[in-house]
Amino acid sequence: MWWRSASFILDRQQEQNTSYPPNPESLLLSSPPPSMADSLQNPKPDISAYYQTRAAHHAVVTSDWLSQAQAAVSLQTNDDVSSGSDGRVAPTGGGTGGDNKTFSVIDEFNSWRKQPDLAEAVAAIRALAAVIRASQATTMMELEIELKKASDSLKAWDATSISLTAGCDLFMRYVTRTSALEYEDFNSARYRLIERAEKFGEISYKARRIIAMLSQDFIFDGCTILVHGFSRVVLEVLKTAAENKKHFRVFCTEGRPDRTGLRLSNELAKLDVPVKLLIDSAVAYTMDEVDMVLVGADGVVESGGIINMMGTYQIALVSHSMNKPVYVAAESYKFARLYPLDQKDMGPALRTIDFGVPIPSKVEVEKSARDYTPPQYLTLLFTDLGVLTPSVVSDELIQLYL
Amino acid sequence: MPYTNQAAALIHSVKAVGERLIAANPVELAVGNVVRRVLHIVREEDLSLTTAAMAGLNLSAESDDEDDTDRDNHPALSAAAIAAASRSTLRPPSLQTLLEDVPDSAAVPHTSSSGGDSEGKSKSADKSSRSRKLKHDVIEAVNELIQDISTCHELIAEQAVEHIHQNEVILTLGSSRTVLEFLCAAKEKKRSFRVFVAEGAPRYQGHLLAKELVTRGLQTTLITDSAVFAMISRVNMVIVGAHAVMANGGVIAPVGLNMVALAAQKHAVPFVVLAGSHKLCPLYPHHPEVLLNELRSPSELLDFGEFSDCLDFGSGIGAPLLHVVNPTFDYVPPKLVSLFITDTGGHNPSYMYRLIADYYSADDLVLERRTTSGN
Repeated sequence: MWWRSASFILDRQQEQNTSYPPNPESLLLSSPPPSMADSLQNPKPDISAYYQTRAAHHAVVTSDWLSQAQAAVSLQTNDDVSSGSDGRVAPTGGGTGGDNKTFSVIDEFNSWRKQPDLAEAVAAIRALAAVIRASQATTMMELEIELKKASDSLKAWDATSISLTAGCDLFMRYVTRTSALEYEDFNSARYRLIERAEKFGEISYKARRIIAMLSQDFIFDGCTILVHGFSRVVLEVLKTAAENKKHFRVFCTEGRPDRTGLRLSNELAKLDVPVKLLIDSAVAYTMDEVDMVLVGADGVVESGGIINMMGTYQIALVSHSMNKPVYVAAESYKFARLYPLDQKDMGPALRTIDFGVPIPSKVEVEKSARDYTPPQYLTLLFTDLGVLTPSVVSDELIQLYL
Repeated sequence: MPYTNQAAALIHSVKAVGERLIAANPVELAVGNVVRRVLHIVREEDLSLTTAAMAGLNLSAESDDEDDTDRDNHPALSAAAIAAASRSTLRPPSLQTLLEDVPDSAAVPHTSSSGGDSEGKSKSADKSSRSRKLKHDVIEAVNELIQDISTCHELIAEQAVEHIHQNEVILTLGSSRTVLEFLCAAKEKKRSFRVFVAEGAPRYQGHLLAKELVTRGLQTTLITDSAVFAMISRVNMVIVGAHAVMANGGVIAPVGLNMVALAAQKHAVPFVVLAGSHKLCPLYPHHPEVLLNELRSPSELLDFGEFSDCLDFGSGIGAPLLHVVNPTFDYVPPKLVSLFITDTGGHNPSYMYRLIADYYSADDLVLERRTTSGN
């Protein structure tokens, strides 16, 4: 008598499957992966490489196609690339074979980043680990300087990716603190740094599992969840809930122009979760049926707000006005030392939008890929540090950095 | 019993009893809170004893190269690093420790015990005295906790003067001992103010509170719960007690207080909640209206004699057409609460997580014991 009845479970047999078949045209419309010929300079500086990669992940393709496409790309650009690492899906240690002069942290980073399952920050930290491995420094100070240079070049290469910056900062912080521990031997300290960096990938997977476990209690039987964007953490949360035999249904926003909703609905349909696709404008229309909103985050800023795919702020505003809780699932290494005061306060992250028809050149297009959601519209953050209210984020950051 | 297992054994037995206590009445959150406080005390005392032992064994610990097989510690780590790592096992996970490989907590006391072994038999007597010391310390700390809980009313009441000013009008609902002492403390400091008491149906404990306040010499007005919205515009502050405070700052309070909180928000009246620190619960309210509520007997609402035919199961219809719902508690979301006054002072609802980190350990949130160790 306290809950709304979960009539959608009864309606489910009559509902048609709403997932869309993969659209072959979408493959042509999504931009090709950035070329790696000029490693130190981003070939398309006004297009955010981070969102490019996400778009490549989100395109409604199968992983087989992806690996074939990347193999095809690497065959073409093999002559241009000076260092050994290519966009192969297999995580070989690449880039260390050969002389150090041609070792490029950017290439290393790109090779890791191509994997659809790997988080940005993990790719960055793995790249920095490769720097340590390839380094010929003999003291901690020298190693730190080298790492700082590599981290700065990574950050400069893609200034729009917050988790990249946060991951680099976290690792640099860890390095400077590790050197404070009394290691008699430089090599053992170095070995330890490399080992921890490699383990960080596991931490990232573990973080997703922890977040999925923490959020299980918040998903009750018969609830309706609105999801925006394609976050691997959110997918993990929903997968775990489905495995625990909870009855819930998901509304996915379409997520133009990346079509994140289509990809997500594909994945959820495989799990037998009832999914409904909405166009982005239909969020307010369906908000009264929704019990909670669940989003991921590209970055969590100092105020406790989040930076996420364009449209998140809108959805948070609508939910707030209708008293629906907004939950954010984000790993703790996405906490960044940023404090945007409004939407334009962050560096621009632009991406191409294809409207399907030619637009006259006089017409401007809003190309920003992300927005900032202030903390007062968020209810709780699920992180691997536990369930947090937005005010705890600044506390954590202060503890780490000051 | 060897020193290394003493704390673990204590924790195990406390958890065993605590589990049963909580299962007996899950709605009474204070039971779980106290169990978790005791567990946190055990861990803290154990840690402080370990660090004291570590300081004593600082020189000898570094010579312990022969026991490497048990530990996965890096052999180059000094004793100071081990102590720092063991301190971090007690703190909840944070960004600082994200990249660190925190050594297994069982490995930390191994160092101290292996250090004890290498010193020879002179240490064995020391070990058993240490184990007795742990129990002694824990019992002392638990007695302090009992003391704190019984004196929380005074500590909260001391702060009354800062919040209640001359010629103010205070609104409260139902009856709470903390609120009573709070108001009386302000009265004793010669503040003159008036109190509106909402009666708090269906138990009408507001009547008792009103009587108490009058005997202490306070000007009191008694109103029905339904009249709260009508009177709220004349009120300066709402002061209420709580059954429990959740980790997000939400309050489990006697039924009717959500309505009062909404009325207070509408008229921008501060809504102040008084709660002793033993009421602070580290759990998040997932579905508080159902999971943390208790439905009481309909007899408090209705007279069985008059309504016997409506409520009768055997009257031929089968199921009765009249349902009576009598919830005990209400959930007040954190955005409606202006201030929490606890025995440690006044706090914002968003500050609750700090108090939780101080009073509770992250390992104790789920009290079900696993049969295999290490989770």
